[in-house]
Amino acid sequence: MKHLSDQERMRAEELLELRATIGLEPDEERELVALGVADDVSFDLAAASISIATLDVVDEMPAALSAKILLELPGASDTTVMPAMRMSGLVQDSTAERTRLGVGAYAPPVASAPASSPVQPTKTPDVIPIDVARFKRRAAIASTVAALGLAAAAAAVIYVQTRAPIVKTIAENPKQVQSPSEQRAALLANAKDVTTIAWTATKDANAVGATGDVVWSASAQQGFMRFKGLAANDAKQIQYQLWIFDADRPEATPVDGGVFDVASTGEVVVPISAKLAVGKPTLFAVTVERPGGVVVSKRERIVVTAALPS
Amino acid sequence: MVPSARDMDPAANRPPVTLPPLMGRVAAGDSVAMRECLQRYGNLIYSIARRFDPGDAEDAVQEIFLDLWKSAVRFDENVASETAFVAMIARRRLIDRRRASRRRPTTEQMPDRPTMVDPGAMPDACVEAQQATRALEQLRPEQRQVIVLSAVQGMSHGEIAAQTGMPLGTVKAHARRGLLSIRAALTGVDQGES
Repeated sequence: MKHLSDQERMRAEELLELRATIGLEPDEERELVALGVADDVSFDLAAASISIATLDVVDEMPAALSAKILLELPGASDTTVMPAMRMSGLVQDSTAERTRLGVGAYAPPVASAPASSPVQPTKTPDVIPIDVARFKRRAAIASTVAALGLAAAAAAVIYVQTRAPIVKTIAENPKQVQSPSEQRAALLANAKDVTTIAWTATKDANAVGATGDVVWSASAQQGFMRFKGLAANDAKQIQYQLWIFDADRPEATPVDGGVFDVASTGEVVVPISAKLAVGKPTLFAVTVERPGGVVVSKRERIVVTAALPS
Repeated sequence: MVPSARDMDPAANRPPVTLPPLMGRVAAGDSVAMRECLQRYGNLIYSIARRFDPGDAEDAVQEIFLDLWKSAVRFDENVASETAFVAMIARRRLIDRRRASRRRPTTEQMPDRPTMVDPGAMPDACVEAQQATRALEQLRPEQRQVIVLSAVQGMSHGEIAAQTGMPLGTVKAHARRGLLSIRAALTGVDQGES
């Protein structure tokens, strides 16, 4: 690998960090290649690990979406063998038939080479190349450092051993499927510091007759909004967004509590998705925003508020 | 060092369950493996997509699986666990989509959509997530805030500054140092060694 000066190394790290989080402009991509570190996926791996580590609630993929993906599997449109039916479980796959068709029958274009052939990855922008040598080098460095002490050496062995492919399926975990209403009830039953505050509707047209409340537990950093009578929104036109004012933060920058839709004027329970920790909430406010929400609200349309007693 | 609550929780420290990797079979075009892959990683990918691109999560997930079929051949178990590899592929597509659409990051909570509630389950899903969890716990709170907003929701430095009220330079520094810390925890290489 090309030797980098301190300045180049810092720039490389900056670009790798950006690529792993928000992506790069084409000229930045070229710069990364010129620096010789485009194959370094360690930052991407770190960001991916954070994504997994911070998932405390796992969303169940809709069955219809699974079905769509099954139908789009490579070869699914092959009218001769109708693999889509097989893949969707309508027809059981048979080993004999697979042997007759050959394993390449459903292979995507880049994977069509025999398994024993050395496959040369084609570099494309949407593929993450893997620098094996770099990681092996890192493992070697870790082992050398660890040899300085028994405890550290043991840690290194554990580290190397745990590099093996490890997968735990979501299906393996015992799951408790709960609706937002059930989650809200559980929070009310289990958290000792839950605060419940009734919404106050404003004069906004969408808020006429709206009632409900917001519950929040500071210890759990979890909460739910309940609405009845809040106007249903067309998500292509507008969306609702919650803001949580915190005594520990400037009034100008309330915490984004999440964007949500209301499908009917019946009772709706919406989980709060606070982007930052909320220390001492003072006011919950729901605004009407453009689809996707905003980072900073102009507070032009406030539909409901719930203030905590001071 | 003071042990964290996670250090004292035996369940949190148990080794992840190992299942045979699927990528090799997927790369070879094994349709059964692709189905297993969808079953094994569908919820994970969907969950990551919902946090990163709530408005178009379903379209994003379809594209991610197409990428996964193409990229499976590049999986190397010496580099990353299969779960982490899948998450990397997913994130790369989500970032590309974000850049293409220029939509701001946010989350959307659909009121009547059931979710699978399993607090603490996902950090055990792969060794990298366990290591990342520990490393995140070692970060200063404001550093952790920035790195989570950046890595999980794909917020730009400017957006994080607007959301948190932190100066832009501080956000940039936290983002870089935070990710370097997580990377160091995963690779065993100190921040100054690379």
